[in-house]
Amino acid sequence: MDNIHIAATERSPEINFNFQDNVFLIKGESYPEDVPAFFGPNINRLKEHLDAMDSGSVTFNFELIYFNSTSAKVIMQLFDLLEESADNGVDITVNWIFEAEDDNMEELGEEFGEDLEAVKFNLVAQDS
Amino acid sequence: MLANNLYNIRQALNEQGIIFCYSGYMTEAILSGIGQAIKQKLVIEEADSKTMRGVFSIFVEQMQNVIRYSAERIPEVSGDESVLSYGLLTVGNEDSAYSVTCGNKVLTKDIDQLRDHLEKISLLDQKELKALYKQILKGDVPEGSKGAGVGFVDIARKASQPIEFDFKALDDEYTFFALKAYI
Repeated sequence: MDNIHIAATERSPEINFNFQDNVFLIKGESYPEDVPAFFGPNINRLKEHLDAMDSGSVTFNFELIYFNSTSAKVIMQLFDLLEESADNGVDITVNWIFEAEDDNMEELGEEFGEDLEAVKFNLVAQDS
Repeated sequence: MLANNLYNIRQALNEQGIIFCYSGYMTEAILSGIGQAIKQKLVIEEADSKTMRGVFSIFVEQMQNVIRYSAERIPEVSGDESVLSYGLLTVGNEDSAYSVTCGNKVLTKDIDQLRDHLEKISLLDQKELKALYKQILKGDVPEGSKGAGVGFVDIARKASQPIEFDFKALDDEYTFFALKAYI
């Protein structure tokens, strides 16, 4: 599967999906005009890829500065998708990377991560 | 006369502590532009990063509510890509607290549901808001036909005081709806 690399814009995050190395990244600000159109095709590719795996390891890095409530729904869907894949035997690590002084983003990470059981979840504070 | 009339509007806004005001048709492109201007203004005012994020985030949710749900729109049928939605947006700074207020027409038949939803949200504490936010994101709570549920919860979570909202009846068909959040 071809890798996906979409550069960040003012309103949409960088997407870097490396299907060969199984390293995935969503980074930046997320409040695209049309959230389903922006994320939909990329998440479908990811789902297809994960559905075909029953072993191996995957790292998913979220490095978000801001996301709106419509994007939050997509992030929740992604977490569910990753948990499902981990349940199927894939070794999945999710890193939620936030700027050290951004309490709000840390708290959102805790909230999104607290339901994960099969996925390894790390909160990673980063100096800005 | 011209300058006088316009200046009076400006003075009336100033007296209410409003530093930014937009009234007219809103689009996603206008959201981008105003958003950038608000960010720049907050940087100049040396607002701390938490305040900046709060103001910006509430601004986005408020504007998107107007864009998606204002009952005053061209064309009148929703679902068209090129829709223009009429609304008002103000950003205020009074007694060192920022506020973001939005107003738009809604259908009078929809206000009971909207009022119930907002009354419920305004009574919740942070912990309850967090739980509701997550329930809605997970799809455990049907958002109803208006669909704006999670946006209002997000605004309430980021606000420093309970959200204020109000309705003014215009005619049988339309009611003017306003929502204010302090940061």
